[in-house]
Amino acid sequence: MKNNNLIIIILSVIILTVSCTKVIDLKLGNASDQLVIEGNITNVKGTQTVILTKNIPFSSPNNYPPVTGATVKISDQTGNIYSLAESTPGNYTIANMAGIQGTAYTLTVATGGQTYIARSTIPVPVILDSLTDKNDPLGGSSNGNNKKLITVHYQDPAGIANQYRYIMWVNGVQVKDIFVEDDEFTDGRYVSSDLMESDIDIYAGDKVTIEMQCIDEPVYKYWFALESQQTDGIGGSVAPANPPTNILPATLGYFSAHTTQSLTLTVK
Amino acid sequence: MNKLSLLIAIMLASFSAFAQTTFTLNGTVKDAATGETLIGATIRFREIPQSGTASNAYGFYSITAPQAQYTLLVSYSGYETISQTIELTKSTTINISLSAKNELKEVVISANRPNNDQIASPQMGVEKLNMSQINNVPVLLGEKDVLKTITLLPGIQSGGEGNTGFFVRGGASDQNLILLDEAPVYNASHLLGFFSTFNSDAIKDVTIYKGGMPAEYGGRLSSVLDIKMLDGNKKDFTIEGGLGLIASRLKIEGPIDSGKGSFLISARRTYIDLFAKLSKDSVVKGSSLYFYDLNAKGNYHFNDQNTLYISGYFGRDVIGLKNTFGTDWGNSTGTLRLNHLFNAKLFSNTSLIFSNYSYDIQSFLTNEDFKATSEITDVNLKEDLQYAITGSHRLKFGVDIIHHTIAPGNITSSAGSSFNDISVEHRYGFENAAYLSDDWHISDKLTILYGLRLSEMLLLGPGTFNTYDADGNTIASKTYSTGALVKSYLNLEPRFSASYQLTDENSVKASYNRNTQNIHLLNNSTSGTPTDLYVMSSNNIKPEIADQVSAGWFRNFDDNLFEFSTELYYKWLQNQIDYKDGATFVANANEESQLTYGSGRAYGLELYLKKKYGRFNGWISYTLSRTEDKFAAIDNDRYFPATQDRTHDLSVVGIYKLNKRWTFSGSFIYATGNAVSYPTGKYNIGGLTTFSYSDRNGYREPPEKRLDFGATLQGKEHRKYHSSWTFSIYNVLSYSNPYTITFRDSKTVPNTTEAVETSLFPKPIPSVTWNFKF
Repeated sequence: MKNNNLIIIILSVIILTVSCTKVIDLKLGNASDQLVIEGNITNVKGTQTVILTKNIPFSSPNNYPPVTGATVKISDQTGNIYSLAESTPGNYTIANMAGIQGTAYTLTVATGGQTYIARSTIPVPVILDSLTDKNDPLGGSSNGNNKKLITVHYQDPAGIANQYRYIMWVNGVQVKDIFVEDDEFTDGRYVSSDLMESDIDIYAGDKVTIEMQCIDEPVYKYWFALESQQTDGIGGSVAPANPPTNILPATLGYFSAHTTQSLTLTVK
Repeated sequence: MNKLSLLIAIMLASFSAFAQTTFTLNGTVKDAATGETLIGATIRFREIPQSGTASNAYGFYSITAPQAQYTLLVSYSGYETISQTIELTKSTTINISLSAKNELKEVVISANRPNNDQIASPQMGVEKLNMSQINNVPVLLGEKDVLKTITLLPGIQSGGEGNTGFFVRGGASDQNLILLDEAPVYNASHLLGFFSTFNSDAIKDVTIYKGGMPAEYGGRLSSVLDIKMLDGNKKDFTIEGGLGLIASRLKIEGPIDSGKGSFLISARRTYIDLFAKLSKDSVVKGSSLYFYDLNAKGNYHFNDQNTLYISGYFGRDVIGLKNTFGTDWGNSTGTLRLNHLFNAKLFSNTSLIFSNYSYDIQSFLTNEDFKATSEITDVNLKEDLQYAITGSHRLKFGVDIIHHTIAPGNITSSAGSSFNDISVEHRYGFENAAYLSDDWHISDKLTILYGLRLSEMLLLGPGTFNTYDADGNTIASKTYSTGALVKSYLNLEPRFSASYQLTDENSVKASYNRNTQNIHLLNNSTSGTPTDLYVMSSNNIKPEIADQVSAGWFRNFDDNLFEFSTELYYKWLQNQIDYKDGATFVANANEESQLTYGSGRAYGLELYLKKKYGRFNGWISYTLSRTEDKFAAIDNDRYFPATQDRTHDLSVVGIYKLNKRWTFSGSFIYATGNAVSYPTGKYNIGGLTTFSYSDRNGYREPPEKRLDFGATLQGKEHRKYHSSWTFSIYNVLSYSNPYTITFRDSKTVPNTTEAVETSLFPKPIPSVTWNFKF
């Protein structure tokens, strides 16, 4: 439950009205050249992609060097092995492939003399029922137009643990925020969930697209840890660390086998 | 005969009354103007230097000495010393009234030397704050604050701006036992840490133990902050209060039954949200943000043997946002105590104590409404006895039984809500303890205070208890019936301290103590969010244990006008608790699966120079320290600096009384920044710039610096009333101290990242309060 986040939001609003922020110059270390694996496989037939990059120093421009020449394979529990080809530098893809719900997939990446292995299972899909918008009670307004908040609606299946991740685009631009939730407090309910964010202000007329992913528990923990670190830190957050990955030996990134479904709403 | 048996033989000999006939002098020490009992006043016979004793928490004292004529000296900081000749030919009761000193007159050093407690007492690692100092130290928005002021003392670190959490000798903030009239206060902060729960109008005495904990205290590792409420004026009915920018307070006190008893009621309410109403921002405008608290106390002196005290505290914080979300939280405590004097040497106090901390969070949104509540309730029965057996032995012994009930989380919602109703099983347990200690004046040079505390933890059913492995997976689960024993722990805690007086103005001291802790706070946010969840030691969580050794040199100058002390300490910590990544504790039935366990160590040097009296008084305190933790799950089991590790911590406080009407004060602090984890690299995940981290707490926030000024103007004397103005300026030099530092994509230079510092009070904040008294 996002109780802590609610308090943090309220606090932020109140505290930020008296406080002051400024950009500062910090001397930060340089632990770059670590492998970053971002592997995804979905239940929708199409191109499945694994991206290999390296991390870079904080002070550098955001250009992440691709890792080329790696051997990348995805196998399933019944023994099928799919080889991914490097279509562009660092992007390893396979076309016309669909993952199957309930199936566990294993990603194998061999590069730089090391082999990395990760396992993830596509959960049973949950249907994203609808999207609605409403005036953001915390958002205020601009030129008489209220800021809007997007709400997702779905029926959570009773008796099983479900985890969800959302990705939001406003007029084609991805919102820089992480949205994940599980059903610890909502199991079996018809759920309405507000996707609160502070990156892009949404007004009437904007076109909002939401992708809903049903993800397995290790991937949920990965995103949840990342989400809690991205909270602005008002009211305090945990000591930040690299989120717990499902890749062995541990490196940066994750491998997620998930379902996917998207809906688009024109905000009224 | 070996050394140990020699020691025992000497001890036994010293207990037995020698052939001489001895008599006992006892009584109560009080303030002459208000009848308030004085805690920690020094009472001694000039002729027997080691006869010195201090009045206890109820003002009671007892001295035993051979038949003779003596000069009785009674002194208390800020009061005129009394010197009285007495003929001790039989056991006698003498009640003593001391008058408050007028600091202006006190330019000539009085003939009776002020007390040199800090030299003679074996107790070390203890600090006592005088309420007049607390009242004069400048603070944020003029709300004088006990917790803010104690962080200006050596070895006690502030949690940073906007945080009343404090860290004693490297211990975590939940390792402080905070007592208000003996009742534990679980969450000592208001408004998420900007103010403390203690209204200084209602407080008589503040004592903090950093080391060498006396055996009568237990249950927390790092410190005991013992706060005693005022009893109420026994002579006159008075009303006093203050009107400030953000808060107002009112106190009413007076005698009951012509001075046989007294009462006090003190209340405080903030109204920051009234300012919010002026805001143009509709969200801020529609928010509520305030706290209130109420202290009440009454006492009745039945006869010289029996006095009854009843006291209570109730406080609540409320934050709400425009029919959207609301949260409120607070403590309530109650204490019923009976002082009974069995005889002139044996003093008893029986306490029945109640303490509760609870919070509610509510969402009023359509389809997303819920109400989550959580609370901890203690009922505590305590019996403490003080037995001044002979002139050189003072025993303290007693028992303490605490029953805890923890309701970790309860969620209710409407039928149309997204949320289920959930009730997490309650947890029940007993914390029992028995202790014995002896304050032994071996010679006029050597004094030792030694004791033992036996503490027991019993975790009881009903409920289902899971046992988790290191990865948080359930490996066993067992259901227990009501009252069935789930897990028990027994710990023996030795306490020892000794002082050797080299000269009248010069002593060395050493101490060792072990403390254990069976109630643990789970809250992984760094500042005081109200969602505190407490858990008891269990099948998964072992009692936390701390062993501390310390040594110190104490030196007074100029007839005790100046006090200097230096202490060295080293502390070992076992069974410390930290949280796994992404842990949540709200209404979580499996909260113990999210914990990881480790150890810690803390060591440091404290220097403290204080000028106690005179028109100009104040202190300089400096601490050099190191605090490190080690967890198998973090940084490969290597020691890393704890967040509160603070290499340098300096405080300078000065108070100057210019004339009868004006008093000026100033304080300056400098502290090394918190140890924090900053990114050492970045990468892209899911279209988002993401930061990578290396060592835990491998960086430092910039140091915290601040200079504050305060002034008090006393109104002209009136027969019927008295008034005064308090002015303060917080952060005079506009230092911008970091509250948080965050990292994000740059808003100005595309395709780069930047670090952003948020400061809460980067500009000077003036405030004014008008105080009155009838």
